[in-house]
Amino acid sequence: MAKLSNRFWFKLHGWFSLPVWIIFCFVCLTGTISVISHELTWLTNPESRASNPQHLAEKSMSELVDIVQQAHPTASITTVMSFESYLVNAVIFNDKDVPFAIAYVNQYTGKIQEINLGMTFTNFMRSLHGWLLFPWHSNYSVGYYIVCCMAIVMLGAFISGLVIYKKFWRAFTQPKLRVTQGKKTLLADLHRLAGVWSMWFLMLMSITGLWYLAQAIMWHNHIDLDPHAPLIEASQVPTSLNGVPVRPYTLSNALQVAEEKFPDFKSTYIMLPEHQRDTYKVYGQGDHIFYDQYAYGVTVNPWSGNIESERSPAKMTTLQTLSHIADPLHYGTIGGLWTKVIWFIFGIFLTGMSITGFLMWGSRTVKAARTDLDDTSTIYNPPLVEQEGN
Amino acid sequence: MARIQNNIWNRYKYKINGLMLVLICYFLYQSLFPQFPDALPTQELGAFEITPIPYNLEPPYLHDGTYTKDFLLLFSKGQVNAIRQAYLTIGTEPLPLETLELGDAGILHGSQHGQEVHAIAPEAFSAEHKIWLTIENWQEQQQVISWPLPETFYSSSN
Repeated sequence: MAKLSNRFWFKLHGWFSLPVWIIFCFVCLTGTISVISHELTWLTNPESRASNPQHLAEKSMSELVDIVQQAHPTASITTVMSFESYLVNAVIFNDKDVPFAIAYVNQYTGKIQEINLGMTFTNFMRSLHGWLLFPWHSNYSVGYYIVCCMAIVMLGAFISGLVIYKKFWRAFTQPKLRVTQGKKTLLADLHRLAGVWSMWFLMLMSITGLWYLAQAIMWHNHIDLDPHAPLIEASQVPTSLNGVPVRPYTLSNALQVAEEKFPDFKSTYIMLPEHQRDTYKVYGQGDHIFYDQYAYGVTVNPWSGNIESERSPAKMTTLQTLSHIADPLHYGTIGGLWTKVIWFIFGIFLTGMSITGFLMWGSRTVKAARTDLDDTSTIYNPPLVEQEGN
Repeated sequence: MARIQNNIWNRYKYKINGLMLVLICYFLYQSLFPQFPDALPTQELGAFEITPIPYNLEPPYLHDGTYTKDFLLLFSKGQVNAIRQAYLTIGTEPLPLETLELGDAGILHGSQHGQEVHAIAPEAFSAEHKIWLTIENWQEQQQVISWPLPETFYSSSN
């Protein structure tokens, strides 16, 4: 087998990294900020903090729904979400003059601390990172594909970078950062050092990114990973000669069903029925740290109290498992705040690598272009200019 | 070995992808100030007064094996909790309720403040098609109403 030259790998590294470097850098930067978007919200908005100085027990999501319903009698509550214990719960509703609103409810005190009428910082950052705000056409967004394709760029740059960097493992035992030998040397050392120490992170981001790409292709081709929550048979919805029948089973009953079904169940995402054939959808997290906060759940029939469908890691197919472990690995939520901090730091390294890589290429290009210009003007033995990425 | 021409393309070709960031600003503006097509005429159906608003003028899209077109229905009179089930379809005639209730496509969902629906639609629109709303109340009485399909729908889909 013919051995590929170092020059080839160097060019390949440039081909992967340089042509889309600004978008790549942008995706890395927005992803890095997204990792700690909840924490930034906590820092910048006191109303988002779930302070609990009296050490009160956490109220259930059904209690929070009742609190918001009492405060806004004409509101139609659709969804309840919980996040980290230090952040308020979000009760999402619409009202006669409000198409979309989020009540920030302190789950310990029951106080509605804020009514947010628009986009949250977390949603904005995650949308920006996830699909660059490109519009969705039913089940696909061009922006989502662009972002996912960055996984190929990253993996290619990572593999070619390792081949170029001979004996890269020395960067673990003898890290080299020469700060006094000029800008070029400093940039190269920073780029290589960050690359080697971020190897695990680059692999993780590339693999989860490739999974998101596969997921996008499946969505685009109408292949559902998680089946839709089933609708109740029309025959099971009662009829009534006297007015509107009341659903005998409440959200509180549905939560109880989920808690009985799964040990250590913590509800994180609840949807209330949107029509009479709809169910209570109760999703949450359990004792598997590698699964996301929607890995467990039931849909409960509000007319009969029956479980219409259920979701848990034990019953997932391989593709469903992948879809539920990708987010915690990509966003670093597996171990709470501390893993988020680690992911944030390595996110900065990755963003920095795209910048240092471009600066290294830029300084060479400028130098080469100057040399070329000088030589053209003197018409004297023009040296050959070697460029990567051309 | 390659010789680099010091021209604008060679100087900026790796920065040009940054122009995509301008698109992001444009899409952000679009999402902050969305524009919807004109609402269809308001009509009365029993106790209800209903105004359908299409989300866009794009042709139907395939969703779970069924072509669908999205609408928002505003109920300016009548209570939506008086509805046991309701469906919106597009075609030459309304689909029977017995057929509609076998699946989940085309069912109205939401609240008093706005009912959304992914209406069952043909793959392509034509002038013969109408928008059909079928409502069943708790006493199992059915009511059907239709709207002519706006011309912009079938002229844009052909």
